[in-house]
Amino acid sequence: MSYRIPIGPYHPALEEPYKLDLVCEGETVLDAELRIGFNFRGIEHLAERRNYVQVIALMERVCGICSHVHTLSICQAVERLADLTPPPRALYIRVIMAELERLHSHVLWAGIAGKLMGFKTMFMTCFLLREKVMDALEIISGNRVNYAMNRVGGVNRDIADPGAVLDVIDFLEREIQRVIIPIFTTNRTVLERCAGVGVLTQQEAKAYGVVGPTARASGLPQDLRRAAPYAAYPEMEFSIPVETAGDVRARVVVRALEILESCRILRQALEHLPAGDWWGPTEEVEVPAGTAISRIEGPRGEVIYSVTADGENDTPQRVKVRTPTYANMPAVRLMLRGARLADAPLIQASIDPCYSCTDR
Amino acid sequence: MTTTVAPSIANPVSDFEKIPAELGLSETWEQKNGSRWLSPGMIDVRRMVELMLSHDARFVTITAMELPDDGGIRMDYHWDLDGELLTITTKASEKAAVSIHDLCPAADWIEREVHEYFAVDFAGREYAPLLLRAGETPGVNLHKEDE
Repeated sequence: MSYRIPIGPYHPALEEPYKLDLVCEGETVLDAELRIGFNFRGIEHLAERRNYVQVIALMERVCGICSHVHTLSICQAVERLADLTPPPRALYIRVIMAELERLHSHVLWAGIAGKLMGFKTMFMTCFLLREKVMDALEIISGNRVNYAMNRVGGVNRDIADPGAVLDVIDFLEREIQRVIIPIFTTNRTVLERCAGVGVLTQQEAKAYGVVGPTARASGLPQDLRRAAPYAAYPEMEFSIPVETAGDVRARVVVRALEILESCRILRQALEHLPAGDWWGPTEEVEVPAGTAISRIEGPRGEVIYSVTADGENDTPQRVKVRTPTYANMPAVRLMLRGARLADAPLIQASIDPCYSCTDR
Repeated sequence: MTTTVAPSIANPVSDFEKIPAELGLSETWEQKNGSRWLSPGMIDVRRMVELMLSHDARFVTITAMELPDDGGIRMDYHWDLDGELLTITTKASEKAAVSIHDLCPAADWIEREVHEYFAVDFAGREYAPLLLRAGETPGVNLHKEDE
């Protein structure tokens, strides 16, 4: 006889409110229904009532972790409409912020994954490292979250002392290689809890259009930093870790290796930060009529913004946001089918879901 | 299990240039604001989806937008083909559109969202309860007429 187990919308196993209804038989999950919308704020609607400066601050609030990605996306879209190219130093600073944000997101996720595996010391260790990343973000922007770095045509702050940020990167890289990588790739507890669990095949990943580390863990080597490079990424050398097993372990390994690639990009960007201005235009930017699309490889995957301007008003006519969790979440249903009930919290967390982004 | 680290994805020569002709259109992709657009007005959407999938394109999302002067709903179908963003624009007159979620499961949630935000009815599908908010009436969030 099958029975339903509701998890959420408010539950200790969930980082943010959403609802999973699991249909189980014994300890096996037969199917799952997902409900989102508990964080709905009508941000796309609000964006039609804010001018192009205010809308950047609004979009920074789409997500508490990858806030820089959202401001970068909307600024890039407006820059495309206005035919503006930010100065090289600004493009490098955008990359540095984006990679620090990826480090922040991946290290935070590693801690949460550790906790859900029953590995609480790992949680504490990761959150200690996360503090260091946030310190670096604070050195640059003065803020630990919502960094307010992007503006149309440039950035709001310079990186005055790249060496101070490099010191943090050196420490992080050393600690991540010493602690996180060995544990996530060889530790028996991690392997037992993750290998063969919550599988998403490459075919399923393709059909459901999943993105980011979730896609790369299912054998799809897609990464916009390489496939459709933006900001200063064309000048960066880095690899794209890809795994083929499609299970939770593969998602863990891909993110762990991406942390090291982020450190590699950060080192290049900080060491070769071009001289010159970083603020861009000082006059009000005219935004002509049209639609422009901007895509960014966020920590969780592809973020896409479509911005339409009518050329007459200083407010956008339409701002459409598609976040990575929105693309990845429907595939969780496939990952859960046939899984053990006890693995459900870890499986849903393995896509690194962000419901704040998803609901907007 | 072996971890493979992709060195550099060389941009393969994409065959997206053929797509307009395969759709029976005389126009070609227009490069606009950093991406490629095809705006044929009315189009057989399901055929377009089958064609894009046959080219191994990844469905990205749909952007719906209410046109001024009661001009209907503009629907932009975004696809990724080898890193190239391709957008095919159509129009949902009378708030009616064809569903593609059976051909392309990735479109399921976005069709539900467009239905909720703009009251567009996608023929050939049923709707689960509202995805993003409470209530029963679709089209009250972004649909300006109902404000």
